[in-house]
Parts: sequence; C-alpha cells; structure tokens
Amino acid sequence: MPSLLAVFDKPGSVAEVAHRLKNRGYGDLEVYSPAAFPELDDIVDAGPSRVRVWTLVGGLLGAVTGYALTIWMANDWQLMIGGKPFSSIPPYTVIAFELTILFGGLLTLLGLLVVAKLPSGGFGKLSKAYSARFSAEEFGLVVGCKERDVLEVDALLRDYDAKEVTLVEA
Amino acid sequence: MTPPPAMSVAETLHPAAEPADTGGSKINRDILRVMEGVSLGYFGLLAIVVLVVAWAASLWALQVYEGLGLAGYSVPIFWGVYIVTFVFWIGIAHAGTLISAILYLFRAKWRNSINRSAEAMTVFAVLTAAQFLGIHVGRLWKAYFILPYPNQRGLWVNFKSPLMWDTFAISTYATISVIFLYVGLIPDLAVARDRATGWRKLLYTALALGWQGTTRQWKSHSRSVLHLSGLATPLVLSVHSVVSWDFAMTVVPGWHATIFAPYFVAGAIFSGMAMVITVMVPVRRIYHLETYITAYHFDNMAKFLLLTSWIVSYSYITEYFVAWYSGVEAEQSAFWLRAFGPYWISTWVMITCNAIIPQILWFKKLRTHVPTLFVVATFVNIGMWFERYVIIISGLSREYDPAVWGVYTPSWVELSILAGGFAFFAMLFIIFLKIFPVIAITEVKELAIHERAHAAEEAH
Repeated sequence: MPSLLAVFDKPGSVAEVAHRLKNRGYGDLEVYSPAAFPELDDIVDAGPSRVRVWTLVGGLLGAVTGYALTIWMANDWQLMIGGKPFSSIPPYTVIAFELTILFGGLLTLLGLLVVAKLPSGGFGKLSKAYSARFSAEEFGLVVGCKERDVLEVDALLRDYDAKEVTLVEA
Repeated sequence: MTPPPAMSVAETLHPAAEPADTGGSKINRDILRVMEGVSLGYFGLLAIVVLVVAWAASLWALQVYEGLGLAGYSVPIFWGVYIVTFVFWIGIAHAGTLISAILYLFRAKWRNSINRSAEAMTVFAVLTAAQFLGIHVGRLWKAYFILPYPNQRGLWVNFKSPLMWDTFAISTYATISVIFLYVGLIPDLAVARDRATGWRKLLYTALALGWQGTTRQWKSHSRSVLHLSGLATPLVLSVHSVVSWDFAMTVVPGWHATIFAPYFVAGAIFSGMAMVITVMVPVRRIYHLETYITAYHFDNMAKFLLLTSWIVSYSYITEYFVAWYSGVEAEQSAFWLRAFGPYWISTWVMITCNAIIPQILWFKKLRTHVPTLFVVATFVNIGMWFERYVIIISGLSREYDPAVWGVYTPSWVELSILAGGFAFFAMLFIIFLKIFPVIAITEVKELAIHERAHAAEEAH
C-alpha cells in the first residue's frame, strides 16, 4: 500500500486536512511535528493520554509504600521517643508524601516510554517518512491509501497548502 | 489545479530521503551553535574551575583523613559552613522547578527561554548540595547509615527525625529534577541528533530514544510534563520546608519558629532566581542569545526577585517582632545578638543584600538594564548565603546557657571547600553548555510557529 508524505508549514493546515482525510475514510495517518501543538493531539489517537494512569498508580503506590515502610520499620525496631506511639502518622506523612512524588514521577517517566513507544525503531533507525526537516520547522503528514486513491489524496493535500507531496513507499 | 496522475507522483517525486537542508530553522541554528566549538576563553574558564574543584577535593580528602578538626568547629557550634552551604545550594535548586513546573502550570510562556538552564542549574545545585552533606558528616564511609537498609543487627532508622525527612526529600528532589530535565530534553536531543556527526550523533541518538515528534509522542510528552509539573510543584514547596524543619523542630532560640517553612521556601526561590540571572546574563552575552532571552524575560525575573525579596524581608521583621512579643528572654537575646553581637556584620550584609538593594527593582528602567540586574542578583546570592550563615551559626552560638556560648570562625579548609562548591556547580554548567541545548528549542519553536501562523492569518 503506498503512503504519501505531505509537508506543511502550519499546524492548522495539518489538523484541517487530517480531519478531512479521516472523514473520507483515510484513517491510516501519521504526523511529524517539530513541537507540541494541541490541535494535532487527537489526529492519530483521540482521547486522553494513558500516561495519567501511570502517574496515578505511581502516586498511590508511593503513598502506600511510605506509610507501610515507616510503620512496619518503627514496629520492627521499637524506639520509644518522648512517649510517642510507634505508628506515629504525622511524621510518617512527610515520608509518604515524598514517596508519592518519587514513585509518581518515576512511573510518569515509565508511562511516557510505554505510551509513546520509546525507545523506538532500534538504535538510530527512524521511519522512512521521517526526515530532519520535521525537527526544523516543517510538519509532515503521512497518509496510507490504496494505489487508486493516490490522486485524490494528493489533490486533497495540495488543497490544504501542502508545500510538497511525495510517495514514500509503494 | 489538476493533480498529476498517480504514476507521475511515483516517478517524479523523489522518495522522502534526508533532505539536503536540515538546518532550515534559525532557532535550531542559533541554539545549537552554542554547543559548537570551544574557544580559548571557554577552556581557560573550565581549567580554572577544574583547578578549584581539584584543590577543594584534595582538602576534602585531607579532612576525611585528618578528621573534622580541620573545620573551625568549637563548642557548641558543630554545624558550620558546610551545612550553611548545603542549605544555600538546596535553595538555589528551587528556581529550576519554580520556572519549569509552577510557571508551566500557570501557562507563563515567558519561561520557555530560561527553563532549560534553570532545570540544569537545579540538578547541578542539588548535586553540589548533596556533596556538602557528605563533607559535613566527616566519616563519609558511614553516610549510608542514614538509609533504611536491611542489616544483620535488625535496626531501622528513626522516621520521626527531621534528618530522615530531609534524606527522603532531597533524594526525591534530585531524582525528579533529573527526570524533569531529561523528559524536557528528549525532543531537543532529537533536533541535535538530526544535525550532529561523529560521537555526538551516537550520544544524541542513544539519548533521544528514537524520538520523531509523532503526535502520539508529543501527546504523551505534553501530558508527562504536565504531570511532572503537578508533582514537582508541591515537591518544591516541601523540600525547603523539610530543610527548614531540620532547624525549626529543635528548641534552639532563633530556630524554633513556625514561620520557618514559608520563610525558607521564599528565600530559596529568591536565591534561585538570582542565580539564574547571575548565570544567564554572561551566557546570553557570550553566545549572542539576545533574541531569545530578552529584556522582557529579565523584567519578569526581576519582578520575581522583588516579590520574594519582600517576602523574605517580611519574614526578617516577623522574626524580630515575635522574639520581642513572645517575652521569652532567650529568643530576645538571640535576636539582639544577631544584630549587635559577634555576627553583626553577617546580619547587616544579609539585610542590605536581601532587603535593601533589591528595592531598586521597583524601577522598570533598572529591571530591564541587564548589568544592573546582574549586580543586584550577585548581591542577592551573597546575601542569601549570609542569611543561612546568620540563622545557623548565631543560633547555635547563643543557646540557653551562657556557659556554653562560643564563637565560630570558618577555617581556611572550610572556605576552600566552599569555593570548591561554587566551582563544581560552574564546572557542571560549563560542560552542560557544550553538550546539551541551553534553551528549550522545541518550546521556543512552538511559540515562533504559532506567531508565524497568526501573522499569516492576519496578512490574509
């Protein structure tokens, strides 16, 4: 199946043409962007990012670990200090708070790697359609379509200010 | 326009191979240029800081061998320059997270030009601070006793101690700061990868993790930065609060105050912002980054300095008021001695640098006059080091029993290691400048592309 790569200057054009293409049934899309633009977020994968689940799980795990660690250790090696209970929640809340942040942060990083599928493509191997101009200031939109639809897609892309359209794979 | 036939698309248009022009972005060129080549001046500066670090490291080694007698400790003062400097560097580390996380949540786009350098400073400042804990404990080889590790004696650490809270706070802060810096760097590392050759290509290829800027990657990245900001915001407030509790949880006059947590946090942001200005002014000048770090950025940073200067000044006034109003003799004499006792010079340096000099920033002309701002920021750095010196040393030297009052004078070993701390921080930053983009390329680009698109729409 051929793929067409269109190059754009503006994120708005990419978002509009992608929307149009999806309406026409061309759902096999990939976008390369030099920076984060909210208008492009839902083109390939609509709905909220699943990274949030990782952060939440990490945070909860950290809080539970913080309290469990401190309470268990304080009871395993009992130090009587100023008549305070061994399971003394207020001071242990500091540890639980810090571990909430720590685990939340670590799992956010892990979540980013898993959800964004990083590291990707093996060492130094990037996809055929990617080029260094997409880490400059241009946008790339890759559309997978049947051979008979190439003309239509090409026309559509050019209608939305594509600077150039190339065939990346046959 | 009639589209070309299908075959002509295939035949006439070349496959999307690497285009010849990969540097079509002025932003890429301008910022990546900082990493290119090293001048004699760069080498000279690096050599100086490396020598100072080596000098300090050798004295530290000597201190480990000889013992803490080389420091100027005398009864009852056993927290000296090392702890003062530890608190100072932890404070410096706060600007990065403030700029990166808190201003991110507030959608303050002006942070984009300075967040990378501030994040890097955070990491380097935490690393510097952590060393001073190791230097302070003396018996470095036993520092791991602070960690809750399983051992054959069946002992566990005391989690009711603020020093334990500090251990968890600082290590969490160090880890989150590194994650924050790295996550932000990934897209920029891809920019560098696409334009690098040789060993740099290998390094950036490995660190960029195959980043291609797909929407899935950007979406996850933006969400991760948002979550990390959400986590780092309470963290930054907690870290210096916990550091302040190392003091406030004791019954030492001058330390035992509920105001300490917000007082320390404001002071940390104050000093951190001053350090960002102190470092970024010469970097901007040397590497011609005036297009990216403008008078607008300095104006905003100066406003932060002014605001936090007032919070710190208010805290100074409150401390004195509470000491007087409490009617507690020990508190009153502690504060009287701060201003007029053996450490009066430190106290008045602190007040002059932190409360008086920053007031010139009320004038916009001075806020946007970079050399003036640089001088003010340098004074703030000095003043904030002395603030910690005043709090720690004067507090310990005049406790309840006059029979154990003492006077502390830092030894030359301590002052050399203090200088080594500054040199270590500078060394890491100087090396960072040549390996990683000092300005967040993709974030600056995001603004530039938006502006360009809006300009084009208006032209239509």
